[in-house]
Amino acid sequence: MEHAIDIQGVVKRYGDFTAVDHLSFTVPPGSIFGLLGPNGAGKSSTIRMMMRIMLPDEGTVAVLGSDIDHVNLDRVGYLPEERGLYKKMKVVDVLAFFGEIKGLDRRDAQRRAHTWLDRMGLGDRALGPVEDLSKGMQQKVQFVATILHEPELLILDEPFAGLDPVNASVIKDIILEYHRSGHTVVFSTHMMDQVEKLCDQICLINRGRVVLSGTLAEVKREYGRNGVALRVVGDGSFLRNLPEVATLQDNGNELFLRLHDGADPGRVLDAARAKLEVTRFEVAEPSIHDIFIERVSEAG
Amino acid sequence: MKVRHIIRREYLANVRRKSFIVSTILVPVLMLAFFVIPVLFAVLEPAKTYRVAVVDQTGEIGDGFAAALDDTLKDGARKYLVESTAAPGDRFEAERQARVADLNRGRLDIVIAIPSSIMQDGKARYITREERNLNVLERFESVLTEAVVRQRLGDAGIDYSHVAALTKGVKLDMQQLTNAGDVEEKSFLADYGVVFLFTMILYSALLSWGMTIAKSIIEEKGSRVIEVLLSAVSPRDLMLGKLVGVGLAGLTQLGVWALMGIAFAVYASMGLVAQLSSFHIAPSVFVYLIAFFVLGFMLFSALFMTVGAMCTTDQDAQQLQALITLPMIIPILCLMLLIQDPAGPLAVGLSMVPMFAPIIMLARIIILRPPAWQIALSMALIVGSTYLAISFAARIFRVGILMYGKRPSLRELVHWYRRAG
Repeated sequence: MEHAIDIQGVVKRYGDFTAVDHLSFTVPPGSIFGLLGPNGAGKSSTIRMMMRIMLPDEGTVAVLGSDIDHVNLDRVGYLPEERGLYKKMKVVDVLAFFGEIKGLDRRDAQRRAHTWLDRMGLGDRALGPVEDLSKGMQQKVQFVATILHEPELLILDEPFAGLDPVNASVIKDIILEYHRSGHTVVFSTHMMDQVEKLCDQICLINRGRVVLSGTLAEVKREYGRNGVALRVVGDGSFLRNLPEVATLQDNGNELFLRLHDGADPGRVLDAARAKLEVTRFEVAEPSIHDIFIERVSEAG
Repeated sequence: MKVRHIIRREYLANVRRKSFIVSTILVPVLMLAFFVIPVLFAVLEPAKTYRVAVVDQTGEIGDGFAAALDDTLKDGARKYLVESTAAPGDRFEAERQARVADLNRGRLDIVIAIPSSIMQDGKARYITREERNLNVLERFESVLTEAVVRQRLGDAGIDYSHVAALTKGVKLDMQQLTNAGDVEEKSFLADYGVVFLFTMILYSALLSWGMTIAKSIIEEKGSRVIEVLLSAVSPRDLMLGKLVGVGLAGLTQLGVWALMGIAFAVYASMGLVAQLSSFHIAPSVFVYLIAFFVLGFMLFSALFMTVGAMCTTDQDAQQLQALITLPMIIPILCLMLLIQDPAGPLAVGLSMVPMFAPIIMLARIIILRPPAWQIALSMALIVGSTYLAISFAARIFRVGILMYGKRPSLRELVHWYRRAG
């Protein structure tokens, strides 16, 4: 299998609105792949098409080496963007049911459900109804439902949205563990620090098109040769006007500048020190956050 | 086969609902009460003795009236203790007032005042404080009528018993031939009762279970469970699983009712309850009830499912559901016509229209066992249109289940249909 997911020339329209516009990218097997983009970029549409929940208007989607119509869905785990559980059912029954429709037998599914619930700190809730759980707990249950049948490929739509830092870190650990055992994980997010920590591959999309893609290292290298991070006291926005500076992102106390090729970072430091107190100066790689903002705002 | 997991979940979710358990038990109990309570009233009527005084101005009728009231109670005692007083002319009013005074003191239950004008205008008085029993009143009326007629005939020199023998009325007992060539005793009223009972059960079962399907789809869309389901099973399997799961839950309920009904019918036909013997229900009727439920359920739930797939909220769905529920009432409205002319062109025609056929055909079967070809044709037509409805529903379902937000226009619907094809 060459690609875990292979998307070629995919188009999805809702009426006159084109949500996904000739999108192409591939996900290598065994990677943690981040699908990034601002709200409304087409992330969820793309993911739903991977799951065959929606059909593309044009283009092809292949998952685990098979055409989308013939994928064995049991090999895939899917966490939808908006969570859904049967509210009246017992927690363990819901999980067992989702396990069953993914090909587990009931006993096995129940056993796994109990194991996972214990791990999530929800062991004592197993026999209660779903509706008694808090929103965060329901999210964890939904995540367990996704992973219960140990799929080769995990597709997670905004897995961290709405989780507090503690629970987000629980989920993050499980994702990492899962990846280390050789499985492929694809997730969408607009939370860039997660991408930085987790992903080895990223694809940034905006308005349904790929803005940039590649390994995290590649993307950073491409952007990193001439970045400057500055921490200053005072208003540093005037640095934008220096001939060396191509772009400037003003994050308040911190500035991130991209210089023109061959420009001398030292001259920027001198200019800054002439007017401001500089508390930090670093010739740096941009963070994914910076790249994201820069590329998305460039597109307007 | 993942369908069976969907079926199992739908089935359990439905039969475990409190409303399911309550209605499964309560409906037969209410039905039973509907039949049994009047019977119980008759059986348990208190053994009461009525003290009756007759004040007779004619002086000729009172004794005959008193003698004819020879009804006995279960223990053989007389039901009416009648004391007749002849009070001709002016004494009538005084005697009547004296008796009414006794009534007031509780020494009497009923006073019958017969003025002499009764021979001409046929009017007398039934005076009481609390004996408002209609049966007693009617009994007195008929006995008094007979006494007056007897007297009038006697005055004209005609022998009453002779006239009674000559004018004896005729009663028509309806008998109906079955297909097997047997003769069955039938009663119009009993037929109407049974038809009404069965068609209402079928109608409400089809309606409520059809709406259950629409509601369950809307709920799953609302809670987004549908996306998780579709990441595991195909839309076709999901739809089929719901159809079969909810259908089996409905069938379970009807099955329980049918078993209770058969037990009751057998009990009634053994003649243990005399008043119920005219409510003859053939066991095959229950089989047809189940059969038409299954057929009708598949047809209507495919339609309800389409509605569920198109709508996002219950309010949305209610408006669209009217397109299905209103035509469902038509057979109920036609029942009276149908019972009078169950083999007429209207009845036969309606029983061939798939949307009306389950209820109309069931009613016709109860009344007259239509020819087998008509039953078969009507069933075949339902099956055929169910196939069309399900393939239509499947296409709309495929696209519609993920469309959240506003209800689609007709144009969009056509578009969905084409795209899913």
